[in-house]
Amino acid sequence: MSDLSVDGARILDRGYRRFEGQRSGVRGAVRSLVWHTTRSILGLGRPARHKIFPVIVVLVSFMPALVFLGIAALFGDLLDDQIRPEYWEFFGFSFVATLLFASMIAPEAIVRDRRDKMFSLYLSTPLTKPSYLVAKAIAVLGTMSLVVAAPPILWLLGYTFQSLGPDGVGEWLGVMGRIVLTGVAICALYGAVSLAAASLTDRRAFASIAVVFVLLGASIAVNVLIESADASSTIRLFDPLALGLEIAPRMFGDRSVDFDEIPTAQVAAAIVGWISVGIAVIVTRYRKLAAV
Amino acid sequence: MVSGLVAGMVDVVSVISARQLTVQFGEQRALDALDVDVPHGVTGLVGANGAGKTTFMSVVLGLRPATSGEVEVLGFDPRREGAALRCLLGYGPEHHVLPDEMPASDFVKHLAEVRGMPGTEARGRASDALWLVGLGEERFRALGTMSTGQRQRVKLAQAIAADPRLVLLDEPTDGLDPVQRDEMLALIRQISAEYEIDVLLSSHLLEEVERICDNVVALDAGRLVAQGPLESLVGADAGVVVELIEVAERPAAVSQVVESLVRADLEVHRDAVGTRIEVIGPDADLVADAVRDAVVDAGARVGRIVRRRRRLEDLFEGSQT
Repeated sequence: MSDLSVDGARILDRGYRRFEGQRSGVRGAVRSLVWHTTRSILGLGRPARHKIFPVIVVLVSFMPALVFLGIAALFGDLLDDQIRPEYWEFFGFSFVATLLFASMIAPEAIVRDRRDKMFSLYLSTPLTKPSYLVAKAIAVLGTMSLVVAAPPILWLLGYTFQSLGPDGVGEWLGVMGRIVLTGVAICALYGAVSLAAASLTDRRAFASIAVVFVLLGASIAVNVLIESADASSTIRLFDPLALGLEIAPRMFGDRSVDFDEIPTAQVAAAIVGWISVGIAVIVTRYRKLAAV
Repeated sequence: MVSGLVAGMVDVVSVISARQLTVQFGEQRALDALDVDVPHGVTGLVGANGAGKTTFMSVVLGLRPATSGEVEVLGFDPRREGAALRCLLGYGPEHHVLPDEMPASDFVKHLAEVRGMPGTEARGRASDALWLVGLGEERFRALGTMSTGQRQRVKLAQAIAADPRLVLLDEPTDGLDPVQRDEMLALIRQISAEYEIDVLLSSHLLEEVERICDNVVALDAGRLVAQGPLESLVGADAGVVVELIEVAERPAAVSQVVESLVRADLEVHRDAVGTRIEVIGPDADLVADAVRDAVVDAGARVGRIVRRRRRLEDLFEGSQT
């Protein structure tokens, strides 16, 4: 048996004491709030029931990529180009998961803080209203990208490892770049709309309904107008849901049938417009919120 | 990083200094040309609801701009240097609403991180702060399962966990029973005395301010009623309080005592029952002699006679006359 005696050992009771180190300031506060919000959205560090929904949504969003990768692993080159989906099509596969996630994460990110009065506590720290909102937006967009951009990236990496990916480093980087840009654009569009809808109510359930209502309701209204009133297809620019789905084909040099007659510049302007309106709603709402 | 700023403000004389500070909401003046100096120690910010206490705190935190005037907190301009200042402030809000599902340790750690503590340091400090406020054994409990008294302690713990130079506590004893209130007041006193953290304590309960504060800032309808060391605002003054006993064979004796003292140019306040009299004059000994002579002349009987003490309530009574 080894000698475990340590002469002079004592229990160190530090207790409450002064802090002599450096404080991280606004940047550290934003970083901490981003991490805390991301954990909260994904249910990490919370009871199991809070993990169920995000885990299911994330699994659903990854399912098509995993299925096609499994098929590719089993049958390899035998997988016909007609059957094999384009990279941008994966953004469409995770459409339902994206909608569900958007309706869940924005309310979780900002409604809870107003209800629990954490918002006023945060403003007693180095955070300001703008830096608070920036932190929340980063957390929402980052988490949303898990459902929006991660599956196509997984698909690309899987195909690359099976030697079925793009030819050459340049083409590979081009595909990866377009996937990332598409993901950022979709997350910015849906994130801005869902955060704006969630900023208007202090009840999370209502906020989730509001997000679905804005995204799905606008889409239904636009389709009804086109089908029954024979409205111009340009009106589709007022449909944020379809607009988000149009980003991927445009980024890869294609376009969907519904948006065939609409130039890319108009699509881009509409996306910027929706994001701007969302930001304006959020800023107006939070400017009026009393801090203390 | 703000350590350089900390080094620059350690030796400030006044923790908070305001000059002609005015905050106006439309037609209403929430703060009216305040000249306030808050020194080190525990300072009570007292006043009735609507006196301007919370508005003053929000200006100190840099969350509300002054309509006019200037304010300096720990050497910082709260409006221009709010983020750097708030790294050095702790704040305990009045409300008891906290995230129900979050364990107390996670809550305190998270806010310590947001206030600039590194992650590992924040966890240790959260634990230390919760032990200090008496919640060491309860630190992993969800906030939603805690009593009002425990939530008040958690709010205090989060306010001090990041080692602030100044803590602002808004009604920290609200909702507490007398025993919990005593413990909370003792904790606040301990935090200031042992760890040299200055405290600005907002309260409408004057008695608790008298018990633990070194200094007082009294507000009424946005105006400064009084400020200074507690000992200069309360305590013995030039007067006595006399409780007379009514004597059946001399029913007019008490009134004769009062008339005699008024004739001697002393300020006399008689209570509703009529037998308790406060007598105020230029000198306590002269007042006591005058009372003795008046009692003897009237043939009255004295139940109790004590030196009169000024209380914080007197500041507000004075401001309303």
